[in-house]
This record gives sequence, C-alpha cells and structure tokens, in this order.
Amino acid sequence: MSSKNNIVVLTSLGVAMMMGAFQVSASDEAEDYPSGDLEFLVAAGAGGGTDNFTRTVKPMLEERLDTSIKVVNLPSASGALAHQRTANSEPDGHTLDFASSTLVTSLAAGQNPTGLDQLTPVARMQSDVMTLIVNPDKHEDFEAFKTYAENNPGEVVIGGTHAASPDKMAFLSFRDASGLDISFIPYDEEGSVSSNVLGGNIDGMFGEISSTLSYIESGDMKPILVFAEERLENFPEIPTTVEKGWDLTDGNERGVFVNAETPAEIVSQIEQALKAVYDSDEYQSYEEKVNLHYREGWMGSEEYQQKLEENLELYSRLIEQT
Amino acid sequence: MLDGFLSGLSVVLQPMNLLILMSAVFIGFVGGALPGISGVILVVILLPVTYGMDATSAFMLLTAIYGSTVFSGLITAILYRAPGTPEAVMTSFDGYPMTQRGEAGKALGIGVLSSAIGGLVGTIALIVFTPLLASVALKFSSPEYFALAILGLTVVASLGGKLMYGLIGAGMGLFIATIGIDPLTGTSRYTFGSLNLAEGIGLIPMIVGLFAISEVMKRATGGHVHQPLTKVNVKIFDSTIMRKIAATLSRSSILGVAIGILPGIGASTAAMVSYSEAVRWSKHPEDFGKGIPEGIAAPEAANNAAAMGALVPLFALGIPGSGTTAIILGAFIMHGLQPGPMFMASSSELIYAVFAGLFIVNFMILLFSKPFITLFTKLLNIPYSALGPIIIMCCIVGTYSVRNSMFDVWLMLGFGVLGFLLEKLRFPLVAIILGLVLGPIAESELRRSLAMSQGDMTIFMSRPISATLIGIACALLTVSILVPLYKRYKKRRLYSESAS
Repeated sequence: MSSKNNIVVLTSLGVAMMMGAFQVSASDEAEDYPSGDLEFLVAAGAGGGTDNFTRTVKPMLEERLDTSIKVVNLPSASGALAHQRTANSEPDGHTLDFASSTLVTSLAAGQNPTGLDQLTPVARMQSDVMTLIVNPDKHEDFEAFKTYAENNPGEVVIGGTHAASPDKMAFLSFRDASGLDISFIPYDEEGSVSSNVLGGNIDGMFGEISSTLSYIESGDMKPILVFAEERLENFPEIPTTVEKGWDLTDGNERGVFVNAETPAEIVSQIEQALKAVYDSDEYQSYEEKVNLHYREGWMGSEEYQQKLEENLELYSRLIEQT
Repeated sequence: MLDGFLSGLSVVLQPMNLLILMSAVFIGFVGGALPGISGVILVVILLPVTYGMDATSAFMLLTAIYGSTVFSGLITAILYRAPGTPEAVMTSFDGYPMTQRGEAGKALGIGVLSSAIGGLVGTIALIVFTPLLASVALKFSSPEYFALAILGLTVVASLGGKLMYGLIGAGMGLFIATIGIDPLTGTSRYTFGSLNLAEGIGLIPMIVGLFAISEVMKRATGGHVHQPLTKVNVKIFDSTIMRKIAATLSRSSILGVAIGILPGIGASTAAMVSYSEAVRWSKHPEDFGKGIPEGIAAPEAANNAAAMGALVPLFALGIPGSGTTAIILGAFIMHGLQPGPMFMASSSELIYAVFAGLFIVNFMILLFSKPFITLFTKLLNIPYSALGPIIIMCCIVGTYSVRNSMFDVWLMLGFGVLGFLLEKLRFPLVAIILGLVLGPIAESELRRSLAMSQGDMTIFMSRPISATLIGIACALLTVSILVPLYKRYKKRRLYSESAS
C-alpha cells in the first residue's frame, strides 16, 4: 500500500511541479538568461566606430553574462538589415543590435523600414559631440563665419557624410535654427569630407570632435561651434549652440537594441549588464582612447527610447521641409 | 629621411619582425588568391589579433598583408579567370588568354615582376614624397575626380571590337552603378523596395560572377576547350619580355602612384585606368584582350603602386585613400595612435619601420611567389570536373563573407549566367566593368561639383587640373574617332582610284 501511495504522491507532485513550471515560465526565462549563445548584429561595416564599439563590449559582456557571443556585421543599407533581422528574431534577448544614430536618421529619411515600435532600446553607451568645423584660412571663428554666410547667401558650402546621416541632421537643424542660407554636400566617406575641408574646397563640415581631433591639434581645422548644453571642459574656447539660443545638442550616439517583444525583465537584465560594462575601468579607458569621453554616454532604456522618439519627430519634420 | 629609413630597416630586420612579415606575406598570398577574400576582409579578421602586439609589429603585419593580397589576386585571375581580388580583374583580360595558349608560366612571371616593380616604385614614392604628395592630393576635389572619370570612360572608343558593343557595355555598367540609394539625395533608385538593393550592386559579386562563374560554365559546357595545363614554369626575369614591357611598366607605376594617392579612389580604379591608357598608347591596341604581356604589366604595376600610394594620405593626413586603408586608420586609433597631420612627426619611428617593412615585402613577393605559385598550380593536376566545383564553392563563400549576405551570392550566380551569355555574343566585359567602377565617380562628383559652384558649369574649366584632364579627354576622343574615319576615307579613295 505504502508503495502505491508513494507513487500517487510522487506523480501528483511531479504534475504540480510541471504545472508550476508552466506558470512561472516567463520569470524563469529571465532567471535563466542567457540560455544560450548571444548574437551581436552590427549595423555597420567592419572596422568603423560602431564595429569597434561592438567588439570592445563583446568580451566584457561575455565575461559578465558567462556566455559566448558571435558578432555579425550587416552593413547593407546603412544597417537597415541588422535592424530588420533583430525585429524578426526570437524575442528572448539573444539577438542584440548594435547601432548608431543612423538608425533614427535613416528611419526619418524613409530608408529604414524597421520602426521604433519594433525595437526596444536597451541602453545608449556613447554620445559623441557634433561640431561645426571650418578651415581656419576661410573663417576665423563662429561670428566671422556667420557674418560671411549672411552677406553671401547661398555661397557657403558645408560637407558631411551621407544623405541621411547624423551630420546631415545636424546641418538641417542648424540651418533651421540659425536661418542662414547655406548648403550641404554629402560625401561617401569621412576621409573625403576632411580632405575637401583641408584643401579649402568647401567652407567647413559637420562632424564628430573625436574623429577630427588631430586636425584641430595641428591647426589645419578649427571647431567653431559645439552642439552641447555647456562648453566642453577640454575645449572651453568654443561657443555652444545653447548659448547662441539654439536647442541643438544631438551628436552621433551608439547604443544597443533588441526585439520590441522581449520581456521587460530580460531587457532590464541586459541593461544592468551593459551598465556594469560601461562603468568598468576597462571600458572607460577605451572611451578615452577613442576620444568619446567628453560627455556622459550612458542613458538607460526608457530615457533613450523617449529621446529617440523626439529625435525622429524632429528629423522627420526637418526632412519634410527640404 | 634616410636616417629614419635606415633605423626603420634595423627594426624590420629583427628576427621576430622578419618572421611577422613573412607570415603576413603568406597570409596575404593565400587570402588574395581566393576569390572574394580581399585585403579588406583579411585585415579585419586579423585586427583583433594585433591588439595584443606592440604597435610597430602590428602595423607591419597589417600593411604587409595589405600589400601582398594586392599582388596575389593575379594568380587565380591568370590561371582560372577568377580574380582573387577586385584589383586583379583587369589582369585576367590578357592573363587568362595566355594561360589558354599554354603560357601560364610566362603570364604569371610578368605579373610577379610587374607587381614587385609597381610596389617598389610605390614604396619609394611613399618614403620620399609623402608630405609633398599629400598636399597635391588635397588639390583634387570633385571637379578633378569628375574629369578623371571622364578621361577613363573615353577609352571605350579605343577598345577593340565593335564600338557599339563597347558603348552598350559601358552604358550597362553605368546603369548598374545607379542602382541603390542615391548618395546625394538619399532617394532610392531601382531598388524596388528591397533592402538588399539599397546599398547598390557590390563590385565583388559582379566581378566574381561575370568572370569566375561564367568561365566555369563555359568550360563545363564546352568540354576541354584548351590544352590541359600540367606544368607551369614561372619565369620572372625574361630579358626579351622585360624590354617589351619596360615602357608600360614605368608609365603604369607612375600612373598607379598618382591615382593611388587620391583619397577615395583605390587600386582597382588605378588598374583600370592604367589598362585603358596602355590600350590607348599601344601601337597595336587590337591585340589587347587576346593575351599580350603589356595587358598584364599595366594593371599589375599600377595596382601595386596604387596600393602603396593609398598609404600616402593615410600617413601624411590621416585620410584613407581606399577601403583597406580606412580600416588600418581605425586600427591606428584602437592602438592609441593619432593619425593626422602631425602623425609623421609624432610617430616617425613607427612610420619608417612600416615603410621599411613594405620595402622588404616587395622583395619577399619576388622571392616567395614562385614556390607559392608552384604549390598552387599543383591544383592544375586536379581534373576540371573537381576543380570547377571547388572554384564555385570558393566564390560563394568569398562573396557571402563580404557583407554576410545571401542575396549577394544569388546576385553573383546571376551575373555568372549573364557573363556566360554576353561572352557568347563576344561582348566586351571590360566596358561593363569600366562603366560600373567609373560611373558612380563621374555621376556623384559631377553633382558635387555643381553643388560647390551653385550650378555654374564653368567650374570644370576654371580649375587648372580639371580643365587639363577634360582637355586631354576631348583631344583623345576626337583622335580616336577621326583616325578610323580618315583611314576609311583613304581606303575608299584608294579603292575608287584603283577602280577608275
């Protein structure tokens, strides 16, 4: 009898455990995360800033999550394929999209079909500083630049990379705010923009301070306006957009995205792991090495989501106006 | 400068560094010889490996790989018409016909010698003239690039074969080049809403398909169309040939350096322009494409010279001259170096060690290419029924790896079929590639020029370099159209005189 009883008890216990397992499966999934290897999709080609960012984060996150990570570059269509593949992936937080602000600029320009409703931003980790940089032989400082542009409408030419890039958005928002009659030429590569500024073929460019630092130090280029709230500690002499009365502070940002249907617990788990990476000395010394330490890069999931939505609205409006 | 070079040489000649250089050359040989695996990919793969090395060794490794891949693309281009790298496409036009005639060894020898000479000329220019050349490169802006592309396109009129086919081919290339997102306005062109087409048609799927795949198809359908190759005896120094190609070599090397230093234009374009000019200046342009030594010497000297030339703006200004150098630029930054106008001054030791390393690499190419090619040609003993599928497999893997895109693989296979059909019609594939490579430069630089001048067309004439280039293009075009007309007129008069 007792053995029979035992069987009944064991069976019912087993059933109860299975039922319980089904009920708590969602939170279990989050507890088990990650349950396998992760895949990082890089929305850019190999060797660029976003790729370096991804490959720097990879070993640090591998260590913290105790898993192994595969990195795949999907540069086609300004990374739109990477966003699409992320949005179509299993919503279990195992496919992460590493992207730059190009995600939202190309969305505004209609070149990226994956909307912000299909992706959840996990965190922003880098925020580069956008600057207006000129050839010092052409314009001495921002006031001289502005006066020249006012007196010679339509003649000032500014360069940048690509037609739907953060550079272009900086140009559009600057032109919109300042009311200056200036024009923009998109180049395929950053090198072509720099060489045209250095050679004096164009008046200046919109670009990140990190990538032009060497020209600034040598005196071949001069930043005359930074897109920031406050003057940068390292460049106290450059005026900011905000002090000129223009609320323009966006630069190129880099962050991590997952499928929008990913459970909130998992998103916050990844967010915490990324935050730990961000705060590590190892990561901070990388930021310093690539000159991305001028301002705080970190932004949590919710705040970043809100910021991206605001950006999208602004960029869409600016593109519509042109 | 000589001091710097000599101290650089002493760094390079340390056994460890020599070993690094040798392995770099070997890696470059293998990667370059495989269709689809280009220098860009190899450098990206090895980038993380270099983070643990000291900066000097790391950059000797990366630049040596870069230099040797540009060379070794010619091996498969000549043997199987499967260009190992985009830089070697032009080499297959005359290299492969020579292989078909049983002159593979001769063709490879010319290729090796031309590469090494082009590379040396490029390296010497790099060492001696870097600061000077960099300032010349800055004089080039959109109007000059436009003029250069036009000059390159006019050669269609001088290519052998039917002029109409040449024009159609170039037009086809120009059309394919417009597919994708317009670089200036961001408008989608001929993409039919497909994300895969947004970036345009890649050069690698197109080249690999048109050349390698179509050739495998041709051989599969035509049985053994040429003599089986069992023994390839590479002869690098052949005095009669050397005398024959000396003029082409010197012109192409200089042209290669000149084009290589321009930011944004790489060794593939240099090889193309150099081939075009070799055709234009030749006394017998109709022989190009049928397998003549000049047809190998011109692109090979130019692409290797250009590869070195592309390093000039990188070292002097921090501006990459091509795709691979853009990645090397990223690597400098990851190593905590600051490329830019001050780079030569602040890191001169490193730079001269890299220069000395490249100098040695060109000799290593001369020295090691023969045993490597011998090893490689052992493959020729494999029956084509097995080799053909191996080539196709390499093409698929290589094409996929460029963008991790299966779409590109289908595209490549599609171009294979297209190339096969076009060749049956005796269509000049050169013209298509010419249109594809030069088309985007011509189009976008024309529009950028006009944006610079607020729509004023005189910008092309008011800038001395672009005015000169356009002038030369017009003159050459006129000559190449008038000369055949005059010849025909003379022939007709002769005919009517003799008739009367």
